[in-house]
Amino acid sequence: MSSSATPPARPRWLTGNALGPRLARHTLTLVALALLLLPLADLSVITREPWTELARMVQGLAWPAWGAVESPFHALGLTIAVALWGTLAGVVLGFPLALLFARSRLVRAGCAFLRAIHELFWALLFLQVFGLSALTALAALAIPYAGIFAKVYAEILEQTPRAPGDALPPGVGRLVRFAYTELPLAWPRLAAYTRYRFECGLRASVLLGFVGLPTLGFQLETAFREGRYHEAGALLWLFYLLIASLPWWSHRRLLPVLAIGGALLLGPWPSVDGALLWRFVSQDIWPRPLLEGDWPGLVTWLTRIPDLAPAIGNTLLLGLLGTVGSLLVALVMWPWASRHFGNRVSRLASKGLLVLLRSTPELMLAFIFLLLLGPSMLPAWLALALHNGALIAFLIARHADSLTPGMANLPASGRLAYELLPRLYPSLLALLYYRAEVILRETAILGMLGVATLGYYIDENFQYLMFDIACFLLLVTAALNIAVDALSRRFRPKEAPLDVPGMDA
Amino acid sequence: MPERHAPLLALEGIDLGHGDQVVLPRLSLTLRPGERVALLGPSGAGKSTLLAALRARLGDDVAWCPQHHGLVPGLAVYHNIYMGRLAEHSALANLWNLVRPLREPWREIAELCEQLGIAELMRRPVGRLSGGQRQRTAIGRALYQRRRLFLGDEPVASVDPHQALRLLSLIDAQHDTCVIALHQRELALSHFDRVWGLRDGRLVLDAPADELSLDDLDALYPDAETPVRSDQQETPATRPLPCYRGRV
Repeated sequence: MSSSATPPARPRWLTGNALGPRLARHTLTLVALALLLLPLADLSVITREPWTELARMVQGLAWPAWGAVESPFHALGLTIAVALWGTLAGVVLGFPLALLFARSRLVRAGCAFLRAIHELFWALLFLQVFGLSALTALAALAIPYAGIFAKVYAEILEQTPRAPGDALPPGVGRLVRFAYTELPLAWPRLAAYTRYRFECGLRASVLLGFVGLPTLGFQLETAFREGRYHEAGALLWLFYLLIASLPWWSHRRLLPVLAIGGALLLGPWPSVDGALLWRFVSQDIWPRPLLEGDWPGLVTWLTRIPDLAPAIGNTLLLGLLGTVGSLLVALVMWPWASRHFGNRVSRLASKGLLVLLRSTPELMLAFIFLLLLGPSMLPAWLALALHNGALIAFLIARHADSLTPGMANLPASGRLAYELLPRLYPSLLALLYYRAEVILRETAILGMLGVATLGYYIDENFQYLMFDIACFLLLVTAALNIAVDALSRRFRPKEAPLDVPGMDA
Repeated sequence: MPERHAPLLALEGIDLGHGDQVVLPRLSLTLRPGERVALLGPSGAGKSTLLAALRARLGDDVAWCPQHHGLVPGLAVYHNIYMGRLAEHSALANLWNLVRPLREPWREIAELCEQLGIAELMRRPVGRLSGGQRQRTAIGRALYQRRRLFLGDEPVASVDPHQALRLLSLIDAQHDTCVIALHQRELALSHFDRVWGLRDGRLVLDAPADELSLDDLDALYPDAETPVRSDQQETPATRPLPCYRGRV
């Protein structure tokens, strides 16, 4: 019995060292920062009649013109083949790197660089050498994926339980130890991640159409740009069907068939001109004054570069807004898709919406919003927030479904605030921070649609064949991504664990 | 008691622990050949630390059965048991064995599994076994090592009393000396020669089993002294909380 003790003082707003208030303070700081910087963003709606345009698009989606699509099966097959072989090549390149990852700083830095440049930028780069060919498409996927696989595989292998290895009798060699303990322990997660990355590969493969490679995205972009929304609707449905039917056609036994069939579709292979390739690597991408040792010339060269500060500012601002937007979208959307709330119809509808939003690549979403709202930062922001928010909401809803509330019969608000959110929020925040890197990477490519981020200038300089400036800007982009990644890892709450199944995005 | 054999191991005032953290300060004990020792004590008293230290000191003579088994869920029972003798085959043979089981080990392990009552499970991944079946697989791996000495960290914790007896006699048949951590006090008195009792990082009990009673053993467990009162001040949870996050 506490007889003489005074009751402890009532805590003030959001104070204390418990996890809840700490994460809440963290979140509110992030939101406040975004609100503070919001006036700097150009969010104007420029088109006059977005609603008529939207109505036409919805009509196109509702009544797709299947007959108008030209050779859909070839485009579909090529999309799958590029994704499959790109991912496989990424695995082959990335797995050995994963084994060296923990030991070599050079490998870690190299992989960070490969990851920091988006697939589409790699495609733009290889386009200059290999032309519109399968090699460009494969390299554009395989190279960044090698960097991603190296990092993620290394993390998965590192997280395998130590106990089975410790239980081995003394004197077992490294290779055998790996084959008997680490590899089988990590296998389910390695396979799941590779599968997930293949799905990303499919989206990226579609996007390669935006730079002219003949995958599904090429026809999609043309149809949208020329206002043939019924044809675009058919192509979009084709893409959704492809993603939705993934579990059936990507069965383990079917993979060899797909791989061989796909390989036949990939041709024709370009005849690589060695001299041209060498000239590109050794001269075209370097500033001429640098090659000639002309230092005053280098200064003049630097002045020819477009003003970087606004581009970098826009990139970072869009990244921050996209991240905070994703957080809000995810917070609002996940309860609707989890089994703890609503009824069967509402759950099915919101799950469908989440799948739709997360399957559509940001660039495509941004492209559609751009046609609706005109060129400002708004379409890009909406696209980033909706796509990434939906992706996070989907994973969190699935995580929530695996939980059983300790107290039954709580009202919905109590269930949300006392049972589920406290358990889910750390994971949600962890996912968000993980996604922040991806969001920034995508912020840059949204520039290809005319938002004045770094990607806009990269695209422009590639178009004017100013490879030296384009490559310099690519380096700046990569450095920016690496810096933000390091920053987000520094500030991410340590208590937020990344252990939702299937969430290693 | 007359010393007939030289001790296998004698510790005199040694600090045991992990890294800088000392769990068992100034520990003294003697392990004699031919002795079957039961290691008792509440969770967190330092049983696992002591067993790990014994394993490190006794080296190659030890068949080791760790706590939570240290099995690989993705591999079959056969492969998990085979791992007990991984060091005795070439790397190439070990790798090939993953593709197709080697003839001789397969025969030996089949025999062993017959004795353990898991013969029909040899090809099943350990991840799909019940707790008791995993336990028997882990013991099978230790038996397959064919050493003189058996060190087990709660190897019979999740089987029924009859099975526990049967498994212990299998262990006895192959090893002349053993140190086994367990929680079944009756078993410690009926089946072992000697009992070591740990409490709060000290060896408070070291006596022949036939000189001890159940009450002596109860003294090791703080929760057994007083009836548990539910309104008492919060006690540290001894059982792990139910884990709500999916573990791989």
